[in-house]
Amino acid sequence: MALTDYVRDMRGCSRCSSCKWVPFNQVKSWRNAMNCPAITRFNFHAYSGSGKMNMGLSHLQGRSELTEGAADIIYHCQLCGACEVSCKVYRDDIDLTDVLLELRATCVEEGQLMVEHMAMLDFLKRDDNPLGEPKSTRGDWTEGLGLKDINREPADVMFHAGCRFSYDPDLREIVRGTARLLQSSGAVVGVAGGEESCCGGRVYELGYRGEAANYAEDMLSRVKASGATTLVTGCSDCYAHFKYAYPRIGKELPVEVLHVTEYLDRAITEGRLRLRDSVPMKVTYHDPCHLGRMSEPFICDWEGDKLLRPMSLKRTGKGGIYDPPRRVLSSIPGVRLEEMERIREYSWCCGAGGGVLECDPEFAAWTAGERLQEAISTGAEAMVTACPWCERLFKDAAGESGLDLPVYDITQIVLRSTGTR
Amino acid sequence: MKPEELQKLPPEVYKELEEVVGPENISEEPALLDGYAWQPTFNSSPDLWVPRCAAAVLPGSTEEVQAVVRICNKHNILYKAHSTGWGTFNAVKAGGIVLDMRRMNRIVEIDEKNMYAVVEPYVSGISLQAELLSRGLNCHMIGAGCGASLLASATSGVGDGWDGISMSYSPRNVLGVEWVLPDGELLQMGSLGSHGTWFSGDGPGPSLRGAMRGWCGAFGGLGVFTRVAVKIFNWPANGDHRSEGLMFDYLPPLPENLKVFMVVFRDRGSFAEGMYKIGEAEIGYIQCRNALGMILGGALPRFQRKLPGVPAMVEMLKSMQFCLTHIIAANSPRELAYQEKALRAIALDSEAFVLDMGQLPLGGLLFWGLVKDSLPPLIFRIGGQFSSVFGHDETWDSSILLNRVGQEIKQKWIDRDGMIDDLADNAWMFLQEDGMWTHCEELILYDPREEKHVRSVNNAIAEAMISAVEHCQGPGFMLLNPMVRRMLSPMMSHYNFWTKKLKKEFDPLGLSDDVAYCSEEDVEEADIDLENMTFDIPPEELARIFEERISVIPAPREMAQ
Repeated sequence: MALTDYVRDMRGCSRCSSCKWVPFNQVKSWRNAMNCPAITRFNFHAYSGSGKMNMGLSHLQGRSELTEGAADIIYHCQLCGACEVSCKVYRDDIDLTDVLLELRATCVEEGQLMVEHMAMLDFLKRDDNPLGEPKSTRGDWTEGLGLKDINREPADVMFHAGCRFSYDPDLREIVRGTARLLQSSGAVVGVAGGEESCCGGRVYELGYRGEAANYAEDMLSRVKASGATTLVTGCSDCYAHFKYAYPRIGKELPVEVLHVTEYLDRAITEGRLRLRDSVPMKVTYHDPCHLGRMSEPFICDWEGDKLLRPMSLKRTGKGGIYDPPRRVLSSIPGVRLEEMERIREYSWCCGAGGGVLECDPEFAAWTAGERLQEAISTGAEAMVTACPWCERLFKDAAGESGLDLPVYDITQIVLRSTGTR
Repeated sequence: MKPEELQKLPPEVYKELEEVVGPENISEEPALLDGYAWQPTFNSSPDLWVPRCAAAVLPGSTEEVQAVVRICNKHNILYKAHSTGWGTFNAVKAGGIVLDMRRMNRIVEIDEKNMYAVVEPYVSGISLQAELLSRGLNCHMIGAGCGASLLASATSGVGDGWDGISMSYSPRNVLGVEWVLPDGELLQMGSLGSHGTWFSGDGPGPSLRGAMRGWCGAFGGLGVFTRVAVKIFNWPANGDHRSEGLMFDYLPPLPENLKVFMVVFRDRGSFAEGMYKIGEAEIGYIQCRNALGMILGGALPRFQRKLPGVPAMVEMLKSMQFCLTHIIAANSPRELAYQEKALRAIALDSEAFVLDMGQLPLGGLLFWGLVKDSLPPLIFRIGGQFSSVFGHDETWDSSILLNRVGQEIKQKWIDRDGMIDDLADNAWMFLQEDGMWTHCEELILYDPREEKHVRSVNNAIAEAMISAVEHCQGPGFMLLNPMVRRMLSPMMSHYNFWTKKLKKEFDPLGLSDDVAYCSEEDVEEADIDLENMTFDIPPEELARIFEERISVIPAPREMAQ
């Protein structure tokens, strides 16, 4: 697909600005009425979903150039998908996130690249991760866990740690704990260790289609070779790309792909994982965009008038993963969940996605700060989430702004309740 | 150089503006400015762009607005402010600057005891209402939907909504205004101008509500409004009821002291009479005639598209077209019972039948969609766009007449495949102030990406204008169009010459862009013979004139030059 394939979507924009707001029936306060970090922070209409579609159409019609300034606006967007959810409350014929993705691909084609993203690409080319860490240390987190080497030994479950969990020292205990939980549930768990590489999601979002396809191909061949029947990941970013981007570019993984929250939910329900110890804590849960609305599986593209498209092919955000993490939390003795105002498919983004963390960390931190304030207003003692990128940013933003709210990965709470050490 | 000839701001002007709002709140990036030039609603041009402004600024305070306006006056630059910015009337002529009021989004005050709220331009209906419901209060929501600005509808444009039966329409609820006049001077209107309180729009202090907007509003042609106090109303329930879901999966229960009914009348006559009685009985909180084609299209667009192929179904639906959704609200169960009894008695007397929608699965969606005003954007789901003709506030008999005329005009164009078939039955009409007056506009659904639709809609608008004159009705919202003003002016006491005089008193340099209000285009000598003009012009011919001459906005090709 290309931007030109979305002319009808862009021309269909009624400029109603619904894309800027939480779906209206779910607006609960003035403070939390907005859904899009970019328009909320930068205010010009061009920063909204609608405004970016206007820019795309303007460019295609030769009204404006794709300048550095225009590209800067296009990349000041977390690609969190909130605008599309709100738009699709009222529209069947506009695939807003796809337009945003095509705009980025157009930027790449026309050489309007962000310097910070170029650095990330260099890291990826060199070491298969966007963080600039050496490839050789990627598997260090597995040390002493007794996990199978998926390249040499059979395993039921292939666990994909993802770049952030593989390298971030502050999150290391989380990923190790996750692996132990999988083992406790009775699964034979294998990892690719040092052979694991980036899922390619970030480059897909930045518009580098060729690189994204290469990473997907690499992942596909590793999964095929493993013989595993299930792929589990704790990273929401990876999960969304496995579920949506991979099939979209013809690289669907031939295994069941589960986020760790789905896996744990099943294990708890089936009695394979026992939650014994009370964890007396009032928590609030942050829905990662890539686990929620952005993880809706790709089914197929629709040719022709989207007004006639079957509703099953319309991505509304409703098909994301919202209930499994909530069920897991409610299964833990002592845990009390206090919901924020913006949840599920209309959750506010953490700020890290779409390359924003790399190109404008201040904007990313501001976005996270907004969410932390919302979390604090619930009276919760801690925020729980299920994505390492969200956790990293929330921890940093809380530290920088002096907000006193601990942030946990959901597996940490589960681990405490199982008594697994 | 004439202001409209200016395509780019002189660097020194840009710098002056930048010093006022800060570098991150001003831009002249063409791609960004095209975000303001995309205006598909009420745009008769097939490519849907309006002129690109020379710059966009985001003032953050009244003082910044004053400073920006003064710079415009100093350098002879056109400007127009908008809040949420939906509709062609938000466009400034080429070379002008847009003041996007988005940064001014604060709820300044909610006075529960005296029942008013003071808000800035970017406060939407839904964001104020969200704060009010939990306090047992509510606010008037407008037909443009709950995402629209409260201030804009109160000070500058239209303001009708389906709660009009109990909450009137926006300008009647104004209790004070902070107004940056076209030359930058600050005017505080109503009691605010006398002793700094917001309790009365008419004084003590200057009472200029009529001059500020009259019936329809100046649409940005009289400076910039920075704060408004609006009346707030009773919400006889305990806050809000929450449930998951976004629209058709959003099904919260109804509160105890409110009920929603559907009343189906047998024909237009009994509907007209029944509505009079409902108004006289003073038993309404929210009400709206149901346009079944619109409801079907919003909920089941694919089904609606296939409907014309099922004539029996069409006939059945048309037999129920005089159908009303009516919400009653009371402060006690006894009062609620009285209102329901009165409604049922009126229905019986009018040979109508009543359905208690609260007992049906979709009752919650309907109820909350009306209360929260979240339903209006569903109009875009059907074909992407709508237009509106008539749009008047008049007696109920007048509205009933327009309901019939509008249906006849639309049916003709639907038969020619010129717009989406909504059973030709899409008059948005309701009582205001317990029926003391009423609102009616005929909505046209179409796909702006279909050229035949755009042409047909222009024709239908032209025909509606003629029809309005033939039936001694006002042209309503069509007056936003300068050419319509010019053509109809002689039949309306040259009213626009008087608004132009008013405008000149407030804005001697004419820099607050008035294209949707009373521009030079409609007061200058007409090159068509107004004296001998008759209204039997074939609609196609009038539509041609519309396309060539009346388009509020020049086509983008002209703009780009």
